[in-house]
Amino acid sequence: MLVVSPAPHVGGLSSTRRLNWSVACCLLPAAAWGVFLFGVPALSVLGVALGASLAAELLAALAWRRVTLADGSAAVTGLLVGMLMPPGVPLYVPAVASAFAIIIVKQSFGGLGRNWMNPALGGVVFALFSWANAMNSWLPARGVAAGTGVLPPLNALRAALTGAKSAHRGALAVLGASSYPWSAADGRVVAWINTHILSLAGWSLPGGVFDMLVGNIPGRIGDVSVPLLFLGAAYLLGRRVIRWQVPVTYLVTFCVAAQIFGGLPMGCGWGTGGALFQLFSGSLVLGAFFMATDPVTSPLTGTGKLLYGMCLGVLSFFLRYFGSGGDGVPLAIVLGNCVVPVIDRFAQPRVGSPGKAAAG
Amino acid sequence: MKRQRTLPQIGGAEPPSVLLSSGDISNASIPPFALIPMLQHAGMPARCLVRPGDKVQEGMLIGKADGARSANVHSSVPGTVVSVSETKGADGVACQAALIEFGGEFGRTGKPISTSDWQALPRAELLGRISACGVVGLGGGLLPTHIKLARERGRAVSLLIANGMESEPSLHADFCLMREKSREIAVGMRICQRILDAARVVLAISELSEEGLAPFFRRAFAETGGGFEIMALPGRYPQGHEDLVRGSVVARTASSNGNPPCVESVDCVVLNVATLFAVYEAVVLQRPLIERLVTVSGSAVRRPGVLKVRVGTRVGDLFEECGGLVDPPGKVVLGGPMRGVCVSSLDYPVTKGVAGVMAFTRAEARGGSQLPCIRCGACIEACAWGLVPTRLNKLIEQGSTAAAFAEGLSSCTECGCCAFACPSRIPLVDGLRKGKKLGAIDTNG
Repeated sequence: MLVVSPAPHVGGLSSTRRLNWSVACCLLPAAAWGVFLFGVPALSVLGVALGASLAAELLAALAWRRVTLADGSAAVTGLLVGMLMPPGVPLYVPAVASAFAIIIVKQSFGGLGRNWMNPALGGVVFALFSWANAMNSWLPARGVAAGTGVLPPLNALRAALTGAKSAHRGALAVLGASSYPWSAADGRVVAWINTHILSLAGWSLPGGVFDMLVGNIPGRIGDVSVPLLFLGAAYLLGRRVIRWQVPVTYLVTFCVAAQIFGGLPMGCGWGTGGALFQLFSGSLVLGAFFMATDPVTSPLTGTGKLLYGMCLGVLSFFLRYFGSGGDGVPLAIVLGNCVVPVIDRFAQPRVGSPGKAAAG
Repeated sequence: MKRQRTLPQIGGAEPPSVLLSSGDISNASIPPFALIPMLQHAGMPARCLVRPGDKVQEGMLIGKADGARSANVHSSVPGTVVSVSETKGADGVACQAALIEFGGEFGRTGKPISTSDWQALPRAELLGRISACGVVGLGGGLLPTHIKLARERGRAVSLLIANGMESEPSLHADFCLMREKSREIAVGMRICQRILDAARVVLAISELSEEGLAPFFRRAFAETGGGFEIMALPGRYPQGHEDLVRGSVVARTASSNGNPPCVESVDCVVLNVATLFAVYEAVVLQRPLIERLVTVSGSAVRRPGVLKVRVGTRVGDLFEECGGLVDPPGKVVLGGPMRGVCVSSLDYPVTKGVAGVMAFTRAEARGGSQLPCIRCGACIEACAWGLVPTRLNKLIEQGSTAAAFAEGLSSCTECGCCAFACPSRIPLVDGLRKGKKLGAIDTNG
């Protein structure tokens, strides 16, 4: 019996399953770093988030009579929810956030491909608004004495700048002045670089540079290690699992806005925002590469993706600098999801022009 | 719609292409029974001229063109008509077909070839020979060639393009033909140039085969009078499509002000190289179109290759010629992997339009399971015509066919790139085709 099916009779190598599982795998190094940094609490948060997500997907599968665990999207959602949790959070928070993400945000809208909001972010924002205090349960980084006022650098900076309207020489200087605890390793590395290399040119690095760069800081489980996030993102970009448009415009817009206007709310004048510090703190990189690129909740076309990235950059900037707290990224992307249909409406390719070539 | 079609690296797909070890053409055996449908072209079926019991000669007219876009049909073998009956083609359209049992002597094959000096013939006679021999567009369009050539009567055509780009990946018949018959194709180009009074003649070939083919054609062009150009275009599918070949050739033409002229302003005719070869045979040898080159490939075929096949040969016999099939096949396709049509049995005949036959193993025939659209945009990147296939498909599913047409559905050429690229294996081409059919019904009544 011969199969009769419509053309084409061959398919490309890319598949939705493979795309989802690649994203999950590329998140793992950064998640592993979180576990290395914060230990068992982080591992249990990740485990509970992932487990709750898969269990919720299974429950939905029973209700809707279609098993969708294999498509990998529930695994990505669970992992992301866990990675967006602070390590000291009570375990019911990730459990409820994951279940909310899968059942309310994704499945109730019709499952994979039909949700208009990124499920993981929906769950996390739900948790942020429901348990604001629990979502501030930070644990100290490695090599830092516990109990010395554990706050992620971003939150500490905010606290240090409240009311202070004096000129400052960068975020790390402010943190240094407020005696923010950096690790012993950071002290050694920065001192070595300052005495052996930079002293020749008369420069010096403030304390905390090393901790910030490698991600040895308090923070959410998955967002502390920016280098490992970049590594995973580079693989995904190289394999064309995600496209460059959203993350690049997102990060560039945010950094430019932060550098130019970031000093103003603190009364420090133009161009003193410290974009690099902002890039390495909070969930900016995690959000830009792993959540803003979620194809389901981002625009269809390349032009749309560029617009969307800019939108997110601006939203993140405002929410981070003028919002009520936190780093603003989860909320910015959730808000960005709302404007995707509008962007899609206006960013359609011109019929009859073969892609970008028509411009050249 | 007025935007220029420069093409190329954008859009399209790169399916795995089975490269043949040799570019050799082998002759398929003469079929013991040839089933010759009266519909092997774009327009109405030809009117069948034979009845059961009639003796026919090789190349004898057995179907007379009936209507404006119809073409003559000839017997591909000498023998006796066994039956004339209604049969369904691979595309599901029914027409009369003559079943001819091979027997008796060949009228032409193996006999000395008489060539005629075409240059002395008037234009009408050239067109008449092409029409009489049933030449149709072998690149896939199947429009009778004399119509394409006569269309511009009285007005000089500025550009004639010989399309040597393979119409689909995995098809190599055009490449083989061009290597073996460069001189004949060059003569075919001359004939068409004369008929159209074309100022400029360009042979478009793929960058991938440029090295192998260009020397043959440079010599062939020089021997037949010179003045023809060779242009290598990117080898990425669907570059071989007529519109895209025309767009690319025109875009690479610098006019006096330095900018390429607008595609729509150029009077241009594009003919496939296999068609040009058929034109040569029709005019110079007065030989009707009764055989063609067919690429036999696919995962279930033991020794893929290019065969010279008589029209009416059973598809199953071609697989036997190529070493048989590895397993019982799961899927048999007439044409290429991207646009080919599935057939339900191995008994379908090869017709003028069949550039390839493919057999896939059962494992491959099953394909992947379909998942929901994740809006990744891969189909948009793959579409060379700038459409949003996923959106069109959703509009059609919702019944908003008119909205789909407003967003360019009619530009879709069903090249298959969107469905090929889709990670969720959504049959986009099928959806869009259904939408176009619905639209046609809406406008007709």
